[in-house]
Amino acid sequence: MGLYFEDVEVGYEMTELSKGPIQKVQHVMYAGASGDFNPLHTDDEFARAVGMEGVICHGMLIMGFVGQAVTSWVPKKDLRRFGVRFAGMTTPGSTITVTGKVVDKRKDGDENRISCEVEARDEKGDVKITGRFEAVLPSKNQ
Amino acid sequence: MADKSKIGKVFPEMHWEVERGKIRELVKAIGDDNPVYLDADEAKKQGYKDVPAPPTFLTVPVMWSGSMLDAITDLDINFAMVLHGEEEYEYYAEIYPGDCLSGSPKVANIEEKTSKSGRKMDIVTIEIAYTNQRDERVARQKMVIVERK
Repeated sequence: MGLYFEDVEVGYEMTELSKGPIQKVQHVMYAGASGDFNPLHTDDEFARAVGMEGVICHGMLIMGFVGQAVTSWVPKKDLRRFGVRFAGMTTPGSTITVTGKVVDKRKDGDENRISCEVEARDEKGDVKITGRFEAVLPSKNQ
Repeated sequence: MADKSKIGKVFPEMHWEVERGKIRELVKAIGDDNPVYLDADEAKKQGYKDVPAPPTFLTVPVMWSGSMLDAITDLDINFAMVLHGEEEYEYYAEIYPGDCLSGSPKVANIEEKTSKSGRKMDIVTIEIAYTNQRDERVARQKMVIVERK
């Protein structure tokens, strides 16, 4: 179980994760779970009134997918930083694929640290999230 | 219009008790079936004290406490026109059910930008440093929100 520092090199790819198609009911679940009740995510009529074609997904739901991919690969307790930029709006019906790869690997004092880039795209290849995370991995020699 | 005089403003401290059910609800909504977030025995086997909060959990206290909405209202931002620009976390310790988190949202930056299509936007950065009931720092959160004009 788990991933060791010696197992990964720069360029090593994270296990890919595919999510969806996203259902509108998932927006309602996410609103209730997170407490973000902006009607932009749950009320089509409201969304059209503010210039959208219909409801859009919570950005944080898509970041949640990325978080799922990341902590399926690296245990939560090894994660030190995780940040994303929301690059585009996601609409219901989309299927999101999360990919990532190691971009840096270094010894930081006693810590074995890796930096990775992550990306979430829909089925058309449009980028929804670009991000980065850092994790401290155990070593086989410790 | 963005009121840049509010850069540096610190909003009242929020307090939030982490419930096991709220962790479950969030991972269920995401569709994350990792047993570490759902099953305390499995979590203990993997070296945790209990089920840990998942990586994006800090959206829950800031939204459910009303703290973010209070900040948005104070900054004269129209919530209906808000899009999320960025979200970032630094993690120092695990967050477990029963923990009581405290943190004060701070306005780190406000700037105006014009999109490629010529639309004006206000970009607001909010930062929160969280501690738990033992006064240990557990995480930092940075949120960048965009108000479409």
